[in-house]
Amino acid sequence: MQTQTETLSRCSALTRVRLSYRQRIRAWGIGFILPAILFFAFFKYGPMLWAFWLSFTSYDMVGTPRLVGFDNFTSVVHDPVFIQALNNTLVYIAGSTALITLIALLLALAVSQRVPGSRAYMSGMFLSNVMPIVAVCLVWRFLLHPHGLVNQMLSPLGLGRIDWLTDTSLAMPAIVGVTVWRFAPYFMVVFVAAIMAIPSDFYEAAEIDGAARWGRFRHITIPLIMPQVFFVIVVSALLSARIFLMPFLITGGGPGGATRVLSMLVYETGFSYMKMGRAAAISVALFAIALVFTVLQMRLFMRGEED
Amino acid sequence: MAGRRLTRRHVLPWLGVPPLVALVLLFILPIIWMVSTSFQAGEKMYQLTTEWIPQVWHPENYPNALSRSAFPLFFLNSAIVSLAVMVGNVVFCTLAGYGLAKYRFPGDRFVLLAILSTLMLPMEVTLVPTFLIVHKLGWLNTYQGIFAPLLVDAFGIFLMRQFILRIPSDYIEAARIDGLGEFGILWRIIVPQCKSAIAVLAIFAFRDSWDQFLWPLVVVSRDEFRTYPLGLVRFGEDYGNPPTEQMAIAVLATIPVFVLFMLLQRFVKTGFGLSGLKG
Repeated sequence: MQTQTETLSRCSALTRVRLSYRQRIRAWGIGFILPAILFFAFFKYGPMLWAFWLSFTSYDMVGTPRLVGFDNFTSVVHDPVFIQALNNTLVYIAGSTALITLIALLLALAVSQRVPGSRAYMSGMFLSNVMPIVAVCLVWRFLLHPHGLVNQMLSPLGLGRIDWLTDTSLAMPAIVGVTVWRFAPYFMVVFVAAIMAIPSDFYEAAEIDGAARWGRFRHITIPLIMPQVFFVIVVSALLSARIFLMPFLITGGGPGGATRVLSMLVYETGFSYMKMGRAAAISVALFAIALVFTVLQMRLFMRGEED
Repeated sequence: MAGRRLTRRHVLPWLGVPPLVALVLLFILPIIWMVSTSFQAGEKMYQLTTEWIPQVWHPENYPNALSRSAFPLFFLNSAIVSLAVMVGNVVFCTLAGYGLAKYRFPGDRFVLLAILSTLMLPMEVTLVPTFLIVHKLGWLNTYQGIFAPLLVDAFGIFLMRQFILRIPSDYIEAARIDGLGEFGILWRIIVPQCKSAIAVLAIFAFRDSWDQFLWPLVVVSRDEFRTYPLGLVRFGEDYGNPPTEQMAIAVLATIPVFVLFMLLQRFVKTGFGLSGLKG
């Protein structure tokens, strides 16, 4: 009887010690994450809330913000410059996302064929990603000049002088083209990794069953790399939503605002005209776009993690 | 018969080489143009045909460009900021990634979601309030003002978490039984197995910060803290500065990233294959 209670009390003492030991471990885990949480609270969520509040005020950095209700939103929505920038941003996102995904996939297929030196081709194309973005913009501004390299190379086609950057209908496609040049090789690497991970038995079995090249691609490659396709679409859309430097440097938002995107409008409104409240209201539109793609991305990331 | 099949199998793959080389050329032509232009005479820029190999080389474009504006300082500023961002991301993303991968606590899933949600708040969205915060801290025209808002990235945390999830928890338990502390486990067990993920994280953090334009444009107004992208754009705007010299600076700016990719290429390959993530 006595020994039993003794064992019992020792047991409970043991669990108590173990519990506090587990708690100590847990505290370490929280401690590891804490710096990141504090950072995001201070530099992401804090600014987000502040931006929402600012968007209901009029504030020019002098004096204090003055509450104006929905004035910023109503005037922004009726501003043709905003509508044009919103439209440009959406067109840019759609165009560059579609082309980046398609061309990255085609490049990955080309590179993953059994051709001597496939690694070298990959590294060569990836160089467009190593160049600083500011250098990319400056170089392409020269290449797209009416007498630049692009028109020189197209001259055998007899198209004449093409004003890539000053023609309202060509400036945005030109910016999309530079974006694809910059980012397609990056996402190509993602696709190559996925294609290389497909066991070769799959293809051999399909070959024995008499599946042609196209059939093998359509029924084996495509379904197996679908997660990466979604990943590339979502990530490049999120990337495109943030675009600033390319239109800012290559076209300056012109001609006639044809390439002015939302981030440029936020910058101009806030830092050239010092209308912080209005700039915050415009950034809410940018936030809404980013939100859509972030939700899609999180669903992608958390897939298969539902306990 | 057998001999013919053998040659066919050997020759056929080579047929794919010319189109692929053409494709690669299409991608690297702008880079070759940049390098060749940086050695050209200023007036060649306005010719109607591109002279790929300069008739007369002008390496003096490089020292001329560097002395015409404070580029050595601008590069130094960029290096300081980018290294700070790189170190910050490696340290904080590894810590948080480990905490999220191997510790269970109430609300851990919510914390992960909250961290990933910050992807909807890139600098372009929070530009105005972040500027006001940095202004209130008195950090305009300081290094910390440029790098502080970039120190931790949700993508980096996710990358590290995914990578660390693959390490068996048995290793960690065994180390605990052997009396290793929690930080010792991270340092001696986890970090050595995450070298490739850390390399990917380091490269992209450095590259993204080296590329930063909009944020420094907003927080920096004095030459002492200007980073090279700001200096380079301003250099181009000043009338009379030859574009060839602008290209020389562009080439110099490419070199650090290029070297970093070459040095860590081995790790990047495995890191990329395993994650396929990080935008």
